[in-house]
Amino acid sequence: MCDHHDILKSNNKDLQSVEKQIDRRHFLKKTSLGLGALALGSLLNTEKAWSSIGTPDSTEAILANYNKNRLGLPHHLPKAKRIIYLFQSGGPSQMDLFDYKPKLVDMFGQDLPKSVIGGQRLTGMSGSQSTLPIAPSVFNFKQYGESRAWVSELMPHLSEVVDDLCFMKGMQTDQINHTPAITFFQTGHQLPGRPSIGSWLSYGLGSDNENLPTFITLVSKNGKGQPLKASLWGNGFLPTEHQGVQFRSGKDPVLYLNNPDNYDGNDRKKMLDYLDKLNTIQHDAYGDPEIQARMTQYEMAYKMQTSVPEVTDTSDEPDHIFEMYGKDSRDAGTYAANCLMARKLLEKGVKFVQLYHQGWDQHLFCPGGLKNQCQKTDQGTAALIKDLKQRGMLDDTLVIWGGEFGRTVYSQGQLTDKNYGRDHHPKAFTMWMAGAGVKPGFSYGETDDFSYNVTKDPLHVHDFHATLLHLFGIDHERLTFKHQGRRYRLTDVHGHVVKDLLT
Amino acid sequence: MNEATDFVLFLGRFHPLIVHLPIGFLFFAFLLELYSKWKNSPALTSAIPLALLSGAISAALACILGYMLSQGGDYSEDTLDIHFWFGIATTIITFLAWLIRVEKINLPKLNNIKSNISLLTLIVVLLSITGHYGGNLTHGSGYLTKYAPFGKEKKHPLAPISKIEDAKVYSYLVNPILENKCTSCHNTDKKKGGLMLHDSISILKGGKNGDVLIAGNASKSELVRRVLLNPHHDDFMPPEGKTPLTEEEITILTYWINNANADFESNIGSIETPDQVLEIASNMLGLGSKKKGEVDLPTIGAIDDAVLNDILSEGFNLRELVYESNLYEVLLPPNTIAESNADQLDIKLQKLSKIKDHILWLYIENNQLNDSHMKLINQFQNLQKLVISKNHITDTGVLEIKNLSNLNSINLYKTSITKKSLEHFSKMENLKKVYAWQTKILEKDLEPFKSANLFEVIIAP
Repeated sequence: MCDHHDILKSNNKDLQSVEKQIDRRHFLKKTSLGLGALALGSLLNTEKAWSSIGTPDSTEAILANYNKNRLGLPHHLPKAKRIIYLFQSGGPSQMDLFDYKPKLVDMFGQDLPKSVIGGQRLTGMSGSQSTLPIAPSVFNFKQYGESRAWVSELMPHLSEVVDDLCFMKGMQTDQINHTPAITFFQTGHQLPGRPSIGSWLSYGLGSDNENLPTFITLVSKNGKGQPLKASLWGNGFLPTEHQGVQFRSGKDPVLYLNNPDNYDGNDRKKMLDYLDKLNTIQHDAYGDPEIQARMTQYEMAYKMQTSVPEVTDTSDEPDHIFEMYGKDSRDAGTYAANCLMARKLLEKGVKFVQLYHQGWDQHLFCPGGLKNQCQKTDQGTAALIKDLKQRGMLDDTLVIWGGEFGRTVYSQGQLTDKNYGRDHHPKAFTMWMAGAGVKPGFSYGETDDFSYNVTKDPLHVHDFHATLLHLFGIDHERLTFKHQGRRYRLTDVHGHVVKDLLT
Repeated sequence: MNEATDFVLFLGRFHPLIVHLPIGFLFFAFLLELYSKWKNSPALTSAIPLALLSGAISAALACILGYMLSQGGDYSEDTLDIHFWFGIATTIITFLAWLIRVEKINLPKLNNIKSNISLLTLIVVLLSITGHYGGNLTHGSGYLTKYAPFGKEKKHPLAPISKIEDAKVYSYLVNPILENKCTSCHNTDKKKGGLMLHDSISILKGGKNGDVLIAGNASKSELVRRVLLNPHHDDFMPPEGKTPLTEEEITILTYWINNANADFESNIGSIETPDQVLEIASNMLGLGSKKKGEVDLPTIGAIDDAVLNDILSEGFNLRELVYESNLYEVLLPPNTIAESNADQLDIKLQKLSKIKDHILWLYIENNQLNDSHMKLINQFQNLQKLVISKNHITDTGVLEIKNLSNLNSINLYKTSITKKSLEHFSKMENLKKVYAWQTKILEKDLEPFKSANLFEVIIAP
């Protein structure tokens, strides 16, 4: 209504004299609201009321940063210091890739027994089918490595590194549709609005390189299929500086980082410093943490003007590296190129790199679709594992591969010798992890002959989150944030650390 | 003492409710007296007799109800006695004060301002004493000052232990749980159900309902049975409104009664201890869960701020690996040292060596590190991870590593080491991973070490 009557209470001397003046409206407001206003004012301004006057000098601030983490983190010695999460959006078919089910061949075309479905509610897409014919995978499986892990012919490159992988074959989620399922995986809740895993880690552990964001998202270009949205890497109710920064595919990973034409950028720093001063006054007056977040973001953007072009420049990578990641890796924005970029970001001290690759939603033409998907992703994924390993980075980097759910053993739509489709399946699917602190060459969890129910060692999304945080030295029950009157965690009120996965 | 009837106890429980009335009335009378004198408005004093009378009547009622409550026998006799007699004294003196005020007792000498104030002061003092002892009865004697900023003293601090096996089950695990969740109602002052849980003698004594412990049978022992009941059950402990015991705490109590036969002296090491208990116990004692082959974290004091600041200003990044452990990950960003001024690294490392025992993970990648620096790094005896890839290191430097017995993983990618280094590494007990891509180590050099399964050498994808 009349914003100019908001009362500033700054630490700035020049402004204080202005603030002391009282005009008519002000007078009326003050006298009419009287004590109530006083009480309320002190409530709203507690941050300032309790803060010491004047800012601590920079030395102290730096020291405080290293000495005392205000959250009391990490709770125990971490195994991982950075993470790359290769999210396969859409729900990759576990029984065509990793969960080998040879008995299905004899049951080709038979109706999936009701006892297996166990009264589960199917999606509207296949729930009304008159039959649910069992569709064995058309792909050949072989065992690889010393761990004798089963991998289908679709992933020839990944099969070379199975001894570094820790398969989780009994994954379970609560959600059967894409948006809630992917939101659940990234934030621990099916509705948008909670902080994502990366935001929690950024909030809890802070940054290792102040010139780059702690949490970066890369999405493969020309992605088709289920849409992705920024809330998947959003900060929810955590301070804004902890949200994931999406690097775009193509030439300009971050827009508007370049200086405009005819501007040399020399006084940019000066300008930002003045802006900072103004924002500090504003923050002193209102205590709104979003103002601080904005200041941090301006500062970050300024630093990114130099750091981002440097880190996204892959021209100094030798040819044999590009060959390892595959020819796609020379085409910026592809999955393979993003894998390579992810490695470079991790090397620079980015804590969390989240890759998204869309198109794993094979309701129809599953064999063809999977072939296509694997061609785009298999070599890049395997190369990333190899590359991290040879540089010794796999020692403290956690790599995760997986989608939001699995797919059904029965065919959605018509089943033929060579073709079938598969619907969403939340009750059993496969993911894998590799690197810091997880058992290499290990497989956890088993499913029944239909890859439909978990028969041994189920692993729920909440447990996965708890285990992930554990690897970073965080007790998932103790990393909390108070919002709207209660404390929230990534795992909310669930989750158990799965110690069997850990070295 | 005869068993009081339920009805008497029912009435008695209204004591805490009524008891605040006389407190309010009498303080108000005192306040009126002071205020009227200060403002010189005698009109106010006319309310004092009413306040005194209400105070006296409610105090008398509180006394009766208090007596009824005490029939339950849940309280320590000594404190109760003091509270009882001070309560009665307060009541009687209040009545007297009222009688003097309304001139039922005609003592004009006493009915003047001076004596009025002193009488009211006396009432307030008595009230405070009675109230304080009453508070001690309900909340326990340490309640008021427990969080006071002054005069904090830790009773019998437990001797720190380094090995979980040495911990006495009762004093290190069970007693802290009881203190946290039980003794606020089961102590010497307030013994609900006649039960005290603050030391071994009183625990063995049990309460009105008999023994709390049946050694070797946790599910039959009241101590465990009651916390496992349905929370809405009348016998459930702790009662509604208090924080219930956690699963872990119940596990510890059960373990103590079953595995240690509720013995007060048993050590964890001396009895059969399931892994789950071991884990809970190590968490409780802050010892961290231990796995075979895992190195214990060193205990070390904080780093002096000036030293820390000096190291930070040299360009090192520090991150504390466990909160308040004073153990750090230290990283010198790659390319901090250019080839042209390689000698700067000497100064930086010298400064860093002041905190050498604080460092668990050390990263000095691509920073002109050479063999001559390795002697210094060898002194960083707590190192578990050492990343010195892309530096001018040869076997000579590697051979300098003699003291790093906790070293778990070493990264020498893009250095000039040969198989000679591998032989040296094979003597290092805890070393599990050697990263040696782009060195002079060849695939065939690994053969002799493969069968021994000592450590993994990574030379090529």
